[in-house]
Amino acid sequence: MTVSEIVDELRATRPRAGEALRLQVLTLASQPVPTAPPARDRLRGRLRLGLLVPVAAGLAVATAVAIGVTRPQETAREAGPSSATAERAADAATSAGTPPGTANAPSAAFAQKAPPGTTPGRAQRYVASLTLSVEDADALSEATQRALAIARDLGGFVASVRYATGDEGTASMTLRVPSARATDAVTRLSALGTIVAQNVQIDDLQESLDATGRRIEQLRARIAVLTERLGTDLDAATRARLQEERSRAQAELQQLRASRAATTAEARLATIQLDLRTEERGAAVPGSRIDRALDRALEVLAWEAVGALAVAVALAPLALVAAAVWAGRRAHRRRDESRLLGAS
Amino acid sequence: MTLEQPLATAAPRTLAEAAELHLDDVFGYLLYLTRDRETAEDLAGSTFEKALRLWGRFDPRRGTARTWLLGIARTTALDWFRAESRRRRREESVAPPERVEEAFVEGLSPELEAALATLSAAEREVLVLRVVLELDGDATARVLGISPTAVSTRLSRALKRLEEKVTAP
Repeated sequence: MTVSEIVDELRATRPRAGEALRLQVLTLASQPVPTAPPARDRLRGRLRLGLLVPVAAGLAVATAVAIGVTRPQETAREAGPSSATAERAADAATSAGTPPGTANAPSAAFAQKAPPGTTPGRAQRYVASLTLSVEDADALSEATQRALAIARDLGGFVASVRYATGDEGTASMTLRVPSARATDAVTRLSALGTIVAQNVQIDDLQESLDATGRRIEQLRARIAVLTERLGTDLDAATRARLQEERSRAQAELQQLRASRAATTAEARLATIQLDLRTEERGAAVPGSRIDRALDRALEVLAWEAVGALAVAVALAPLALVAAAVWAGRRAHRRRDESRLLGAS
Repeated sequence: MTLEQPLATAAPRTLAEAAELHLDDVFGYLLYLTRDRETAEDLAGSTFEKALRLWGRFDPRRGTARTWLLGIARTTALDWFRAESRRRRREESVAPPERVEEAFVEGLSPELEAALATLSAAEREVLVLRVVLELDGDATARVLGISPTAVSTRLSRALKRLEEKVTAP
Protein backbone atom coordinates (compact mmCIF):
# COMPACT_ATOMS: atom_id res chain seq x y z
CA MET A 1 0.00 0.00 0.00
CA THR A 2 1.47 3.34 -1.06
CA VAL A 3 1.28 6.63 0.83
CA SER A 4 -1.24 7.87 -1.72
CA GLU A 5 -3.48 4.88 -1.11
CA ILE A 6 -3.14 5.35 2.64
CA VAL A 7 -4.19 8.98 2.34
CA ASP A 8 -7.13 8.09 0.13
CA GLU A 9 -8.30 5.45 2.58
CA LEU A 10 -7.92 7.73 5.57
CA ARG A 11 -9.96 10.44 3.85
CA ALA A 12 -12.57 7.99 2.66
CA THR A 13 -13.14 6.79 6.20
CA ARG A 14 -13.29 10.22 7.75
CA PRO A 15 -14.96 9.76 11.16
CA ARG A 16 -18.38 11.17 11.76
CA ALA A 17 -19.93 11.96 15.11
CA GLY A 18 -22.81 9.77 16.19
CA GLU A 19 -26.33 11.12 16.29
CA ALA A 20 -26.44 11.10 20.08
CA LEU A 21 -23.28 13.23 20.29
CA ARG A 22 -24.54 15.52 17.52
CA LEU A 23 -27.81 16.08 19.35
CA GLN A 24 -26.03 16.67 22.63
CA VAL A 25 -23.54 19.15 21.17
CA LEU A 26 -26.08 21.03 19.07
CA THR A 27 -28.38 21.34 22.07
CA LEU A 28 -25.48 22.64 24.12
CA ALA A 29 -24.29 25.03 21.43
CA SER A 30 -27.79 26.44 20.98
CA GLN A 31 -27.84 27.70 24.55
CA PRO A 32 -27.38 31.39 25.06
CA VAL A 33 -23.75 32.36 25.27
CA PRO A 34 -22.86 33.37 28.83
CA THR A 35 -22.62 37.10 29.43
CA ALA A 36 -19.34 38.48 28.21
CA PRO A 37 -16.87 39.10 31.00
CA PRO A 38 -16.24 42.70 32.01
CA ALA A 39 -14.17 44.77 29.65
CA ARG A 40 -11.30 44.70 32.15
CA ASP A 41 -11.11 40.90 31.94
CA ARG A 42 -11.29 40.91 28.19
CA LEU A 43 -8.34 43.25 27.91
CA ARG A 44 -5.81 40.58 28.50
CA GLY A 45 -2.12 40.09 28.05
CA ARG A 46 -0.40 42.17 25.46
CA LEU A 47 -3.55 44.10 24.61
CA ARG A 48 -3.87 45.30 28.21
CA LEU A 49 -0.18 46.16 28.34
CA GLY A 50 -0.46 47.85 24.97
CA LEU A 51 -3.21 50.09 26.33
CA LEU A 52 -1.50 50.66 29.65
CA VAL A 53 1.62 52.22 28.12
CA PRO A 54 -0.13 54.97 26.08
CA VAL A 55 -2.58 55.63 28.93
CA ALA A 56 0.31 56.06 31.39
CA ALA A 57 2.18 58.26 28.92
CA GLY A 58 -0.95 60.35 28.35
CA LEU A 59 -1.48 60.76 32.08
CA ALA A 60 2.16 61.80 32.55
CA VAL A 61 1.91 64.42 29.81
CA ALA A 62 -1.47 65.66 31.07
CA THR A 63 -0.08 65.99 34.59
CA ALA A 64 2.96 67.88 33.35
CA VAL A 65 0.84 70.25 31.27
CA ALA A 66 -1.61 70.80 34.14
CA ILE A 67 1.21 71.60 36.57
CA GLY A 68 2.93 73.77 33.98
CA VAL A 69 -0.23 75.78 33.31
CA THR A 70 -1.40 76.11 36.90
CA ARG A 71 1.99 76.61 38.60
CA PRO A 72 4.39 78.09 36.03
CA GLN A 73 6.05 80.27 38.64
CA GLU A 74 7.70 77.23 40.24
CA THR A 75 10.27 77.17 37.45
CA ALA A 76 11.10 80.81 37.93
CA ARG A 77 11.49 80.35 41.67
CA GLU A 78 13.78 77.40 41.26
CA ALA A 79 15.81 79.18 38.57
CA GLY A 80 17.06 81.70 41.09
CA PRO A 81 15.96 84.54 43.30
CA SER A 82 16.51 87.13 40.63
CA SER A 83 13.98 85.62 38.24
CA ALA A 84 11.42 85.09 40.93
CA THR A 85 11.62 88.52 42.40
CA ALA A 86 11.72 90.12 39.00
CA GLU A 87 8.58 88.33 37.97
CA ARG A 88 6.63 89.47 41.00
CA ALA A 89 8.17 92.90 40.80
CA ALA A 90 6.99 93.40 37.25
CA ASP A 91 3.37 93.78 38.30
CA ALA A 92 4.22 95.93 41.28
CA ALA A 93 6.52 98.15 39.27
CA THR A 94 3.85 98.65 36.68
CA SER A 95 1.26 99.57 39.26
CA ALA A 96 3.67 101.87 41.10
CA GLY A 97 4.60 103.69 37.91
CA THR A 98 8.25 102.72 38.00
CA PRO A 99 10.06 104.31 35.07
CA PRO A 100 11.10 102.31 32.00
CA GLY A 101 14.31 100.34 32.36
CA THR A 102 13.41 99.38 35.89
CA ALA A 103 10.17 97.71 35.07
CA ASN A 104 11.47 94.36 36.26
CA ALA A 105 12.37 95.74 39.64
CA PRO A 106 11.47 93.47 42.51
CA SER A 107 9.97 96.04 44.80
CA ALA A 108 6.84 94.04 45.48
CA ALA A 109 8.80 90.93 46.20
CA PHE A 110 11.04 92.80 48.56
CA ALA A 111 8.08 94.34 50.26
CA GLN A 112 6.77 90.83 50.91
CA LYS A 113 10.11 89.72 52.29
CA ALA A 114 11.36 92.98 53.81
CA PRO A 115 14.95 93.00 55.02
CA PRO A 116 15.47 93.14 58.78
CA GLY A 117 15.62 96.63 60.32
CA THR A 118 17.17 98.18 63.38
CA THR A 119 15.45 98.02 66.76
CA PRO A 120 14.04 101.41 67.77
CA GLY A 121 15.70 102.84 70.90
CA ARG A 122 18.87 100.78 70.53
CA ALA A 123 22.14 101.82 68.93
CA GLN A 124 22.89 99.38 66.14
CA ARG A 125 25.32 99.24 63.26
CA TYR A 126 23.47 98.56 60.00
CA VAL A 127 25.50 97.44 56.97
CA ALA A 128 23.83 96.23 53.82
CA SER A 129 25.15 95.27 50.42
CA LEU A 130 22.96 94.94 47.39
CA THR A 131 23.82 93.76 43.89
CA LEU A 132 21.29 94.47 41.16
CA SER A 133 21.24 93.89 37.45
CA VAL A 134 19.57 96.27 35.01
CA GLU A 135 18.72 95.85 31.36
CA ASP A 136 21.27 98.06 29.63
CA ALA A 137 23.50 101.10 29.89
CA ASP A 138 20.56 103.53 29.82
CA ALA A 139 18.87 101.69 32.63
CA LEU A 140 22.18 101.64 34.53
CA SER A 141 22.50 105.41 34.30
CA GLU A 142 18.93 105.97 35.33
CA ALA A 143 19.16 103.51 38.23
CA THR A 144 22.32 105.19 39.46
CA GLN A 145 20.66 108.59 39.43
CA ARG A 146 17.66 107.25 41.23
CA ALA A 147 19.81 105.54 43.88
CA LEU A 148 21.51 108.83 44.66
CA ALA A 149 18.13 110.54 44.80
CA ILE A 150 16.78 107.93 47.17
CA ALA A 151 19.72 108.40 49.54
CA ARG A 152 19.16 112.16 49.61
CA ASP A 153 15.43 111.77 49.87
CA LEU A 154 15.82 109.66 53.00
CA GLY A 155 18.06 112.24 54.65
CA GLY A 156 21.30 110.49 53.81
CA PHE A 157 24.18 111.13 51.48
CA VAL A 158 26.45 109.43 48.99
CA ALA A 159 29.78 108.45 50.49
CA SER A 160 31.28 107.27 47.20
CA VAL A 161 30.27 106.53 43.61
CA ARG A 162 32.06 104.68 40.83
CA TYR A 163 30.34 104.48 37.45
CA ALA A 164 31.69 102.73 34.34
CA THR A 165 30.18 101.79 31.00
CA GLY A 166 31.47 99.55 28.22
CA ASP A 167 30.60 96.03 27.14
CA GLU A 168 29.31 95.54 30.63
CA GLY A 169 28.26 98.66 32.54
CA THR A 170 28.78 98.79 36.30
CA ALA A 171 28.07 101.33 39.01
CA SER A 172 29.20 100.96 42.58
CA MET A 173 28.22 103.36 45.35
CA THR A 174 28.30 103.61 49.11
CA LEU A 175 25.27 105.32 50.58
CA ARG A 176 24.76 106.50 54.15
CA VAL A 177 21.21 106.93 55.31
CA PRO A 178 19.69 107.29 58.78
CA SER A 179 19.54 103.88 60.41
CA ALA A 180 15.88 104.34 61.18
CA ARG A 181 15.20 104.50 57.45
CA ALA A 182 17.66 101.80 56.35
CA THR A 183 14.98 99.22 55.68
CA ASP A 184 13.04 101.69 53.62
CA ALA A 185 16.20 102.53 51.68
CA VAL A 186 17.03 98.89 50.92
CA THR A 187 13.47 98.25 49.81
CA ARG A 188 13.45 101.24 47.49
CA LEU A 189 16.91 100.51 46.12
CA SER A 190 15.92 96.90 45.43
CA ALA A 191 13.26 98.18 43.09
CA LEU A 192 15.89 99.66 40.78
CA GLY A 193 16.76 96.34 39.15
CA THR A 194 16.76 92.59 39.46
CA ILE A 195 18.29 91.39 42.68
CA VAL A 196 21.37 89.29 42.10
CA ALA A 197 22.62 89.23 45.68
CA GLN A 198 21.93 91.00 48.92
CA ASN A 199 23.34 90.94 52.40
CA VAL A 200 22.23 92.76 55.55
CA GLN A 201 24.25 92.75 58.74
CA ILE A 202 23.12 94.36 62.00
CA ASP A 203 25.43 94.60 65.03
CA ASP A 204 24.13 95.78 68.39
CA LEU A 205 26.24 98.65 69.85
CA GLN A 206 23.97 99.56 72.75
CA GLU A 207 25.75 97.40 75.31
CA SER A 208 29.09 98.90 74.45
CA LEU A 209 27.59 102.42 74.62
CA ASP A 210 26.07 101.72 78.02
CA ALA A 211 29.41 100.46 79.37
CA THR A 212 31.16 103.52 78.03
CA GLY A 213 28.54 105.77 79.65
CA ARG A 214 29.01 104.09 83.01
CA ARG A 215 32.76 104.45 82.81
CA ILE A 216 32.40 108.14 81.91
CA GLU A 217 30.23 108.72 84.98
CA GLN A 218 32.78 106.96 87.20
CA LEU A 219 35.59 109.08 85.78
CA ARG A 220 33.60 112.29 86.25
CA ALA A 221 32.93 111.41 89.87
CA ARG A 222 36.58 110.51 90.46
CA ILE A 223 37.78 113.74 88.84
CA ALA A 224 35.38 115.70 91.07
CA VAL A 225 36.72 113.97 94.18
CA LEU A 226 40.32 114.55 93.12
CA THR A 227 39.66 118.22 92.34
CA GLU A 228 38.06 118.67 95.75
CA ARG A 229 41.00 117.07 97.54
CA LEU A 230 43.47 119.13 95.58
CA GLY A 231 41.74 122.25 96.98
CA THR A 232 42.83 121.33 100.52
CA ASP A 233 46.22 121.59 102.25
CA LEU A 234 48.37 118.75 101.02
CA ASP A 235 52.01 117.96 101.16
CA ALA A 236 53.90 118.31 97.91
CA ALA A 237 54.21 114.60 97.22
CA THR A 238 50.51 113.87 97.74
CA ARG A 239 49.48 116.86 95.63
CA ALA A 240 51.71 115.74 92.79
CA ARG A 241 50.30 112.14 92.90
CA LEU A 242 46.67 113.35 92.92
CA GLN A 243 47.30 115.79 90.11
CA GLU A 244 48.82 113.06 87.99
CA GLU A 245 45.87 110.75 88.72
CA ARG A 246 43.38 113.49 87.76
CA SER A 247 45.25 114.13 84.52
CA ARG A 248 45.04 110.44 83.60
CA ALA A 249 41.33 110.37 84.41
CA GLN A 250 40.67 113.49 82.37
CA ALA A 251 42.56 112.01 79.40
CA GLU A 252 40.62 108.78 79.62
CA LEU A 253 37.37 110.68 79.93
CA GLN A 254 38.14 112.64 76.81
CA GLN A 255 38.98 109.45 74.92
CA LEU A 256 35.78 107.76 76.06
CA ARG A 257 33.67 110.73 75.07
CA ALA A 258 35.19 110.67 71.60
CA SER A 259 34.60 106.95 71.33
CA ARG A 260 31.00 107.32 72.43
CA ALA A 261 30.44 110.06 69.91
CA ALA A 262 31.91 107.89 67.14
CA THR A 263 29.80 104.91 68.11
CA THR A 264 26.67 107.02 68.26
CA ALA A 265 27.44 108.44 64.85
CA GLU A 266 28.04 104.95 63.47
CA ALA A 267 24.69 103.80 64.84
CA ARG A 268 22.91 106.85 63.55
CA LEU A 269 23.77 106.21 59.90
CA ALA A 270 23.45 102.94 58.04
CA THR A 271 25.94 102.00 55.32
CA ILE A 272 24.52 100.58 52.14
CA GLN A 273 26.83 99.31 49.45
CA LEU A 274 24.96 99.23 46.15
CA ASP A 275 26.38 97.57 43.03
CA LEU A 276 24.56 97.88 39.74
CA ARG A 277 25.46 96.05 36.53
CA THR A 278 23.97 95.47 33.15
CA GLU A 279 22.55 92.02 32.47
CA GLU A 280 24.93 89.49 30.95
CA ARG A 281 24.15 88.30 27.44
CA GLY A 282 22.12 85.12 27.61
CA ALA A 283 21.24 85.63 31.22
CA ALA A 284 17.93 84.19 32.23
CA VAL A 285 15.18 86.68 31.60
CA PRO A 286 11.74 85.78 32.76
CA GLY A 287 9.78 84.66 29.72
CA SER A 288 6.13 84.92 28.97
CA ARG A 289 3.58 82.90 30.89
CA ILE A 290 3.38 80.39 28.05
CA ASP A 291 7.17 79.98 28.03
CA ARG A 292 7.20 79.45 31.77
CA ALA A 293 4.32 76.98 31.54
CA LEU A 294 6.18 75.04 28.85
CA ASP A 295 9.39 75.08 30.87
CA ARG A 296 7.53 73.84 33.92
CA ALA A 297 5.76 71.13 31.93
CA LEU A 298 9.05 69.94 30.44
CA GLU A 299 10.63 69.97 33.85
CA VAL A 300 7.81 67.86 35.30
CA LEU A 301 8.06 65.51 32.32
CA ALA A 302 11.77 65.13 32.93
CA TRP A 303 11.14 64.25 36.56
CA GLU A 304 8.45 61.80 35.54
CA ALA A 305 10.89 60.19 33.11
CA VAL A 306 13.49 59.94 35.85
CA GLY A 307 10.87 58.36 38.13
CA ALA A 308 9.80 55.91 35.44
CA LEU A 309 13.41 54.99 34.79
CA ALA A 310 14.01 54.43 38.49
CA VAL A 311 10.95 52.19 38.70
CA ALA A 312 12.07 50.30 35.58
CA VAL A 313 15.54 49.79 37.06
CA ALA A 314 14.03 48.62 40.33
CA LEU A 315 11.62 46.23 38.61
CA ALA A 316 14.07 44.92 36.00
CA PRO A 317 15.33 42.03 38.16
CA LEU A 318 11.76 41.01 38.97
CA ALA A 319 10.84 41.20 35.28
CA LEU A 320 13.81 39.01 34.41
CA VAL A 321 12.80 36.45 37.02
CA ALA A 322 9.21 36.53 35.78
CA ALA A 323 10.39 36.06 32.18
CA ALA A 324 12.60 33.15 33.23
CA VAL A 325 9.70 31.55 35.13
CA TRP A 326 7.39 32.06 32.17
CA ALA A 327 9.93 30.53 29.76
CA GLY A 328 10.55 27.65 32.13
CA ARG A 329 6.86 26.89 32.51
CA ARG A 330 6.40 27.07 28.75
CA ALA A 331 9.29 24.67 28.14
CA HIS A 332 7.98 22.35 30.84
CA ARG A 333 4.52 22.39 29.28
CA ARG A 334 6.00 21.56 25.86
CA ARG A 335 7.98 18.68 27.30
CA ASP A 336 4.92 17.49 29.18
CA GLU A 337 2.83 17.55 26.00
CA SER A 338 5.52 15.73 24.03
CA ARG A 339 5.77 13.09 26.73
CA LEU A 340 2.01 12.63 26.93
CA LEU A 341 1.44 12.46 23.18
CA GLY A 342 4.58 10.46 22.47
CA ALA A 343 3.65 7.77 24.93
CA SER A 344 0.00 7.40 23.90
CA MET B 1 -3.77 13.83 -3.95
CA THR B 2 -3.37 17.28 -2.48
CA LEU B 3 -2.69 18.25 1.13
CA GLU B 4 -2.78 22.01 0.66
CA GLN B 5 -6.45 22.65 -0.01
CA PRO B 6 -8.36 23.71 3.13
CA LEU B 7 -12.07 23.24 3.25
CA ALA B 8 -13.86 26.36 2.14
CA THR B 9 -16.20 27.29 4.95
CA ALA B 10 -18.01 30.51 5.74
CA ALA B 11 -17.34 32.08 9.14
CA PRO B 12 -20.15 30.96 11.48
CA ARG B 13 -21.98 33.65 13.38
CA THR B 14 -23.05 31.48 16.30
CA LEU B 15 -21.58 28.54 18.16
CA ALA B 16 -24.52 26.43 16.98
CA GLU B 17 -23.50 27.11 13.39
CA ALA B 18 -19.87 26.35 14.22
CA ALA B 19 -20.88 23.12 15.93
CA GLU B 20 -22.96 22.04 12.96
CA LEU B 21 -20.08 22.75 10.58
CA HIS B 22 -17.19 21.38 12.61
CA LEU B 23 -18.47 18.76 15.05
CA ASP B 24 -17.24 15.92 12.81
CA ASP B 25 -13.80 17.52 12.59
CA VAL B 26 -13.54 17.91 16.34
CA PHE B 27 -14.78 14.39 16.94
CA GLY B 28 -12.47 12.90 14.27
CA TYR B 29 -9.46 14.68 15.69
CA LEU B 30 -10.22 13.48 19.21
CA LEU B 31 -10.91 9.95 17.97
CA TYR B 32 -7.51 9.71 16.26
CA LEU B 33 -5.84 11.22 19.29
CA THR B 34 -7.40 8.96 21.93
CA ARG B 35 -8.17 5.86 19.78
CA ASP B 36 -11.32 5.40 21.81
CA ARG B 37 -14.76 6.30 20.51
CA GLU B 38 -16.43 6.84 23.90
CA THR B 39 -13.57 8.97 25.16
CA ALA B 40 -13.62 11.01 21.95
CA GLU B 41 -17.36 11.61 22.39
CA ASP B 42 -16.88 12.70 26.00
CA LEU B 43 -14.05 15.01 25.08
CA ALA B 44 -16.03 16.45 22.16
CA GLY B 45 -18.84 17.31 24.57
CA SER B 46 -16.36 18.93 26.95
CA THR B 47 -14.80 20.81 24.05
CA PHE B 48 -18.10 22.43 23.10
CA GLU B 49 -18.89 23.21 26.73
CA LYS B 50 -15.65 25.15 26.93
CA ALA B 51 -16.34 26.71 23.54
CA LEU B 52 -19.71 27.96 24.78
CA ARG B 53 -18.02 29.70 27.71
CA LEU B 54 -15.30 31.16 25.49
CA TRP B 55 -17.38 32.05 22.42
CA GLY B 56 -17.34 35.74 23.37
CA ARG B 57 -13.57 35.77 22.91
CA PHE B 58 -13.59 34.13 19.48
CA ASP B 59 -12.16 36.54 16.92
CA PRO B 60 -12.65 35.44 13.27
CA ARG B 61 -9.82 37.78 12.22
CA ARG B 62 -7.30 35.70 14.17
CA GLY B 63 -8.30 32.32 12.73
CA THR B 64 -11.18 30.18 11.56
CA ALA B 65 -13.76 28.72 13.90
CA ARG B 66 -12.52 25.26 12.97
CA THR B 67 -8.94 26.04 14.04
CA TRP B 68 -10.24 27.65 17.21
CA LEU B 69 -12.41 24.64 18.09
CA LEU B 70 -9.61 22.18 17.31
CA GLY B 71 -7.31 24.18 19.60
CA ILE B 72 -9.83 23.87 22.43
CA ALA B 73 -10.22 20.17 21.65
CA ARG B 74 -6.47 19.69 21.89
CA THR B 75 -6.28 21.41 25.27
CA THR B 76 -9.18 19.29 26.50
CA ALA B 77 -7.49 16.14 25.23
CA LEU B 78 -4.17 17.05 26.85
CA ASP B 79 -5.95 17.49 30.19
CA TRP B 80 -7.48 14.07 29.70
CA PHE B 81 -4.11 12.54 28.83
CA ARG B 82 -2.62 14.00 32.01
CA ALA B 83 -5.44 12.61 34.11
CA GLU B 84 -5.12 9.25 32.36
CA SER B 85 -1.37 9.21 32.93
CA ARG B 86 -1.86 9.79 36.65
CA ARG B 87 -4.62 7.18 36.81
CA ARG B 88 -2.48 4.60 35.01
CA ARG B 89 0.46 5.20 37.31
CA ARG B 90 -1.78 4.63 40.30
CA GLU B 91 -3.48 1.52 38.91
CA GLU B 92 -0.50 -0.19 37.28
CA SER B 93 0.80 -1.07 40.71
CA VAL B 94 -2.31 -3.14 41.53
CA ALA B 95 -3.66 -4.19 38.09
CA PRO B 96 -2.33 -4.85 34.56
CA PRO B 97 -2.86 -2.08 31.96
CA GLU B 98 -6.06 -2.11 29.92
CA ARG B 99 -5.99 -3.46 26.41
CA VAL B 100 -6.31 -0.73 23.86
CA GLU B 101 -9.08 -1.07 21.28
CA GLU B 102 -7.40 -1.29 17.88
CA ALA B 103 -10.48 -0.75 15.65
CA PHE B 104 -11.35 2.85 16.46
CA VAL B 105 -12.21 4.15 12.97
CA GLU B 106 -15.07 2.54 11.11
CA GLY B 107 -14.30 1.32 7.61
CA LEU B 108 -10.54 1.26 7.83
CA SER B 109 -8.72 -1.85 6.63
CA PRO B 110 -7.39 -3.97 9.49
CA GLU B 111 -3.81 -3.41 8.23
CA LEU B 112 -4.10 0.35 8.31
CA GLU B 113 -5.97 0.24 11.62
CA ALA B 114 -3.15 -1.83 13.12
CA ALA B 115 -0.51 0.44 11.64
CA LEU B 116 -2.24 3.52 13.07
CA ALA B 117 -2.20 1.90 16.49
CA THR B 118 1.59 1.78 16.38
CA LEU B 119 1.91 5.55 15.88
CA SER B 120 2.22 7.89 18.81
CA ALA B 121 -0.55 10.35 19.62
CA ALA B 122 1.67 13.17 18.36
CA GLU B 123 2.00 11.45 14.99
CA ARG B 124 -1.68 10.57 14.80
CA GLU B 125 -2.78 14.13 15.53
CA VAL B 126 -0.69 15.61 12.74
CA LEU B 127 -1.99 12.88 10.43
CA VAL B 128 -5.62 13.54 11.23
CA LEU B 129 -5.28 17.30 10.96
CA ARG B 130 -3.31 17.39 7.72
CA VAL B 131 -4.63 14.29 5.93
CA VAL B 132 -8.07 13.46 7.27
CA LEU B 133 -9.35 16.95 8.07
CA GLU B 134 -7.22 18.55 5.33
CA LEU B 135 -6.06 21.58 7.30
CA ASP B 136 -3.28 23.52 5.64
CA GLY B 137 0.19 23.65 7.15
CA ASP B 138 -0.25 27.02 8.87
CA ALA B 139 -3.56 26.13 10.48
CA THR B 140 -2.17 22.82 11.69
CA ALA B 141 0.86 24.56 13.11
CA ARG B 142 -1.42 26.98 14.93
CA VAL B 143 -3.48 24.16 16.47
CA LEU B 144 -0.40 22.20 17.55
CA GLY B 145 1.63 25.21 18.68
CA ILE B 146 4.63 24.26 16.53
CA SER B 147 6.16 25.63 13.34
CA PRO B 148 4.84 24.71 9.87
CA THR B 149 8.22 23.09 9.15
CA ALA B 150 7.86 20.90 12.21
CA VAL B 151 4.37 19.96 10.99
CA SER B 152 5.78 18.85 7.61
CA THR B 153 8.55 16.86 9.24
CA ARG B 154 6.20 15.16 11.67
CA LEU B 155 3.70 14.37 8.89
CA SER B 156 6.38 12.86 6.63
CA ARG B 157 7.65 10.72 9.45
CA ALA B 158 4.14 9.55 10.34
CA LEU B 159 3.25 8.66 6.75
CA LYS B 160 6.55 6.84 6.27
CA ARG B 161 6.06 4.80 9.40
CA LEU B 162 2.50 4.06 8.39
CA GLU B 163 3.64 2.91 4.97
CA GLU B 164 6.32 0.71 6.48
CA LYS B 165 3.89 -0.90 8.88
CA VAL B 166 1.22 -1.48 6.26
CA THR B 167 3.61 -2.98 3.71
CA ALA B 168 5.51 -5.04 6.25
CA PRO B 169 4.88 -8.80 5.91
